[in-house]
Amino acid sequence: MKLRKIITLTEDIHTEGGRPVDPIARTAVVLAVIENPWAGQGYVTDLLPGIDEIAPQLGELLAPRVVEALGAPVEAYGKAAIVGLDGEIEHGSALIHTLKFGDHFRKAANATTLLPAVEKRAVAGGAFDIPLKHITDATIRSHHQSIEVRVPDGPRADEIVIGLAAASQGRPQARLAPLASEQ
Amino acid sequence: MAGGQPISNLRKVVTVVDEVVLELGRPVAAPVRRVAAAAVIRNPWAGRGFVADLQPDVEDLAPGLGRLLAGRLIETLGGVERIESFGKAAVVGLDGEIEHGGALIHTPYFGNVLRELAEGTSIIVFSDDRLAAGEPLTVPVWHKTAAATRSHYQTVQIRIPDAPRPDEIVVIAAAASGPRPNARIGDRRSDPVVRLADLENAR
Repeated sequence: MKLRKIITLTEDIHTEGGRPVDPIARTAVVLAVIENPWAGQGYVTDLLPGIDEIAPQLGELLAPRVVEALGAPVEAYGKAAIVGLDGEIEHGSALIHTLKFGDHFRKAANATTLLPAVEKRAVAGGAFDIPLKHITDATIRSHHQSIEVRVPDGPRADEIVIGLAAASQGRPQARLAPLASEQ
Repeated sequence: MAGGQPISNLRKVVTVVDEVVLELGRPVAAPVRRVAAAAVIRNPWAGRGFVADLQPDVEDLAPGLGRLLAGRLIETLGGVERIESFGKAAVVGLDGEIEHGGALIHTPYFGNVLRELAEGTSIIVFSDDRLAAGEPLTVPVWHKTAAATRSHYQTVQIRIPDAPRPDEIVVIAAAASGPRPNARIGDRRSDPVVRLADLENAR
């Protein structure tokens, strides 16, 4: 894996709607900018060898970092793959939509549910929203949220940005009825 | 209150860290972490028209902001000894004056607090602007005890998607743990004497 840079971002929300958020709501994101392992190879039919090599490395790199940056038990989580302009979105999906990537985060967060994801192709500096859902019950509506991030100089056309996001709680001032109450 | 804590009307705190591992495919000889920490607060002068005397609110707010943000830099880099360079910035929301941002970062109530906690002696380099929410700001840093150290001239960019609102200010402190990735453009001590007249004669 050719890793160029790592970005770590935390956001602490102290007030929302003019009211204090107690405890303070933290969301953490860690992004790795890597060379697209399939760059310059034209259409690659079998992505599996690249997945087997790179996806576990990304999981090992990012999962402990995002848990550490959060500094609190993970309640909601999500992931991202942003492919540079010369790549296929399938290249990004290949790296994140496999247990070889996601299980590192699931284990580190004591999680069981599917990781919600954003996959897109974008220019360097393009903003993207990482969706997050509850780590053990994806129907818990209070924990549906997202965080917007960007890497000013990535992904280059032959790069991919891979990211994980974790939240310490649900939305600040969440006050929608639970899904079950509508059924 | 004296010392300015707690910070009134603090909406959010954002920290971003950038670690460069490869530069043009080459390993970075002295790995560096660059961090920017930002506090989003309500502009204390919002809705008050032209306020002639900014000092009371500066004394109230700026020291707490300095403490908060210096603490984030130290925590993020893993100790004050890892801070080699520093910088500061303010982004004023659209309804404010640039002077409001300057008030919060350009007085000793912020600068001296940041400098002391970062264990620096240099003047602190800065940037400022009035912007819509979600616009990026590039924050310069330079060496905390020897500002002219050329290897340490660099910047870190920060952007908060939903801030500043028109009646808010984003106050930022930044630091780096070392020089630019693969810095190699000499220094004042190694430079030849370069004068305009010599350059023109050489043509």
